[in-house]
Amino acid sequence: MTEVLAPEIEVSLHRTARARLYHGETRVDFMGRKWWGIGISLALIAATLVSLLAQGLNLGLDFNGGVQWEVPAANISDAQARDVLAANGVKAADAKIVTVSASGVQRLRIQTSEQPADVRQKVSTALAKAAKVDIKDISSNSVTASWGKEITKKAVRALVVFIILVALFIAWRFEWAMALSAIAAMLHDVLISVGIYSILQLEVTPATVIAFLTILGFSLYDTIVVFDKVDENTARFAGSRLPYDDVINVSMNQVVMRSLNTSLAAVLPVLSLLVVGAGLLGAISLREFALALFVGLVTGSYSSIFIASPLLAWIKGQTPKYKAMRGPRAVGVDLERLVMGGSPAARRESQRLRAARAGDAVAAGGAAVNAPASLLTHEPRPRKKKRR
Amino acid sequence: MRRKLIYSLSAILLLAVSLIAITLGAGYHPALGLDLRGGISVTLRPVTGQAYDKSSLDLAVERIRERVDSFGVGEPEILRQDNAIVVNLPGVNDQQQAIDLVNVTGKVYLRPVIGCQSAVTSTPVTSIVGTATSTAGTGTTTVANTTVINLPTATTGATASSGTTPTSGSPGPSRRVNSVPPTSPVSTTTPALTATPPTGGTASTDTTVVAGASTTTVVSGATTTTGLPFSDPTATQILPTRDGGRCQVGPSGGTGEVFVRDSALPRIIGGGWGVTVDLKTGGSGEGVWNALAKECFNATATCPSKQLAIELDGQIQSAPTVNAENFTGSVQITGSFTKDQATKLAQVMNSGALPITLQAEAVQTVSATLGKDSLRAALIAGAIGVALVLAFMFAYYRRLAIVVLLGLCVSGTLIYSITSFISRFYNGVLSLAGVAGLIVSIGVTIDSYVVFFERLKDEMRAGRSLRNSAQRGFKAAFHTILVADSVSLIGAAVLWYLSVGAVRGFAFYLGLSTLVDVFVAYFFTRPAVLLLARSKFMSGKKIMGIETSVDATQALGATS
Repeated sequence: MTEVLAPEIEVSLHRTARARLYHGETRVDFMGRKWWGIGISLALIAATLVSLLAQGLNLGLDFNGGVQWEVPAANISDAQARDVLAANGVKAADAKIVTVSASGVQRLRIQTSEQPADVRQKVSTALAKAAKVDIKDISSNSVTASWGKEITKKAVRALVVFIILVALFIAWRFEWAMALSAIAAMLHDVLISVGIYSILQLEVTPATVIAFLTILGFSLYDTIVVFDKVDENTARFAGSRLPYDDVINVSMNQVVMRSLNTSLAAVLPVLSLLVVGAGLLGAISLREFALALFVGLVTGSYSSIFIASPLLAWIKGQTPKYKAMRGPRAVGVDLERLVMGGSPAARRESQRLRAARAGDAVAAGGAAVNAPASLLTHEPRPRKKKRR
Repeated sequence: MRRKLIYSLSAILLLAVSLIAITLGAGYHPALGLDLRGGISVTLRPVTGQAYDKSSLDLAVERIRERVDSFGVGEPEILRQDNAIVVNLPGVNDQQQAIDLVNVTGKVYLRPVIGCQSAVTSTPVTSIVGTATSTAGTGTTTVANTTVINLPTATTGATASSGTTPTSGSPGPSRRVNSVPPTSPVSTTTPALTATPPTGGTASTDTTVVAGASTTTVVSGATTTTGLPFSDPTATQILPTRDGGRCQVGPSGGTGEVFVRDSALPRIIGGGWGVTVDLKTGGSGEGVWNALAKECFNATATCPSKQLAIELDGQIQSAPTVNAENFTGSVQITGSFTKDQATKLAQVMNSGALPITLQAEAVQTVSATLGKDSLRAALIAGAIGVALVLAFMFAYYRRLAIVVLLGLCVSGTLIYSITSFISRFYNGVLSLAGVAGLIVSIGVTIDSYVVFFERLKDEMRAGRSLRNSAQRGFKAAFHTILVADSVSLIGAAVLWYLSVGAVRGFAFYLGLSTLVDVFVAYFFTRPAVLLLARSKFMSGKKIMGIETSVDATQALGATS
């Protein structure tokens, strides 16, 4: 097989930021900007904690216990609904009645405390009569308080088991530092998502809990894509005494397009659920789900770059091996070199070409520092002949 | 190599096509969950503070299923999830009916039998039903003139020889049927092997109801006339037996709590299958049992048939004839049981020794219209979501996105077929959470393609040919996909095992689509991309934002 002339030559031709991003030729100094990310996260977490302490979460029926009816609101008003409740011996004053819009139809959502089964049935029948609809069109939901506690307990237990298993898995597959960073990033995502629910006082339902749990999966997926690359680059630069910050920077530049694309691909269906399903078509049950997912996906992609990676760099930086290698980060063209430093063949080719174009200042400046070729302690092993 | 790829590609395409053909051909389709079609969902849990084990819950699930089935509720979903039981009843919208339907006590009652009618009968049933409907359950002393009662018998040779063992006249396993002339009203006629038949006079001394009644009057709020009746241990009732017969039984004389817990065992006794069970010592065990045994052995007015029925939630499990007056320690029930019947009976008696009281913790009614709207919204949103993602893929990866399109079709086909099969054979349903899980999984599936294609770009940027890059790229990308999907799978499994209700449905479909993702990535995406990379279709064109070898060479030629 004939070695192809390097497309790397194209590199110096793409000079607009968009083109570089599209061609995966970025040289963003993520580590140099890590404090921006960490600062934003800390601010959000602080807001979350304040909100949680001040107003807590708006927990839905399924967690606190109680009864809820949903009635088409065309022929029934708030006051009429309260009359129905009072007529059946339900304390109407305690009832929470809101109007929700689903599929272009207004529906009354009536929430009360726990009621016995016969009262529930009587209220349903009376509501159907008052609203002039068939009883089939009335949704009701009744949960005892103890069951709500049970659900919460189960969710927390699932979360703890999940974290432990995932930590073990990442530690086994990669290493402990990565497991710690990934879990920290994941908790960060959940915390911020919960915070948004608390700040905006959105109702937390079982669907929301499902969504939160899914967020964990997405957050980890993103982080693992980054870490997989870091793992690979650690091996690649093993002999070159490259600071860990640089390894991370290189990895992130290499995966940034991948991360953006995967996140975009995951966000699009969720966004469609949120905007089209819940917004235009008014399926409330979809909104509960999609909103938490949307928030989680966005924080998930963000945290894999701005939380997980800097944290990993910091933990690894403390180890004796990398402590010894600390040095100024490679930025600009040097970073690009490291990012683009593909196969030896391509590099040789580009060097030859750059030497030929002697007037090119970029090539001249870049040749001196930290180019991977100069970092290698020995010549790369010649390629084996392989029949294909 | 090339041939292998073509085989793999055609195999998975063939699999997808044949699966969807079978699914559509056989008319299988995913069963929709409650939240998508309307109905009532009841979550039950044992009342706190009582001792119970998983097996008694499993038995309760079985009882609920029998009961729900007997009322003809379409596609019910009854599951035990950890220590809770979830009953989903689509199409039901009366809360009280739903709660009654699932209200199994798990209590076993010992009730003296007044008379039995077998399922296998040639007697004029019409007359029985006619007189019975007016009297059943009312406790009046009406006696029908034309009633004929057939009593099944135990087969000979099944009688145990021990003094402390009763012989079974269980209606369940017996096959032989004796009929008596229609002149004897409300009587239980037994064959030679068992006791003497009581006269019509004795039968009518107590609260007496005609046997063989249709259960219509007993069942409240039932939609059909075939449902199991609700047990009322304080009254005389007509209750169905396991084999479809009916027995008239008196008020309960004791509960299953006379038996020692977990002592009932199916075993071979005298050449046939039977059950042995230990009695608790003292008044609450042997005392209660012997009082009943005495009553029946002597064929008193309350127990003219000499049979003692073992009833669980309105169904007579067995009605053995009592062969002794006094029991100490243990009881044997024999008869022409099959092994399964004996095992089942033992299970019932064990559960009766430890009854659980279930409590409805959550009752949710979903209106059918709301469910339909949600489904429609989810489907439209899903379709738009897929379209957006595909548009994005085509804009970014150009021709390579054809693989994504076909891949999504293959995954979609597989998931649809598997869901349909599960609905058909394992009673699974697709809930709104499940639909959401599937839509979310589109993102996960696309992720795999992005990871692969970006990797491919990396390889090409490093100066490899498209053909070579595809091969190396897949190897590295599949590694990443495996690791990331494993985490998704761990998440799905944990959610599945540790949660209840909607979360489970979501976890299931997330897990399913993750598995399908790995499968499709290896058996479809790999051969498809590798073959495309070799074909002329991809060469010489600008693909995925990076020029192929030919273009790159030309570009180089132009610049240098």
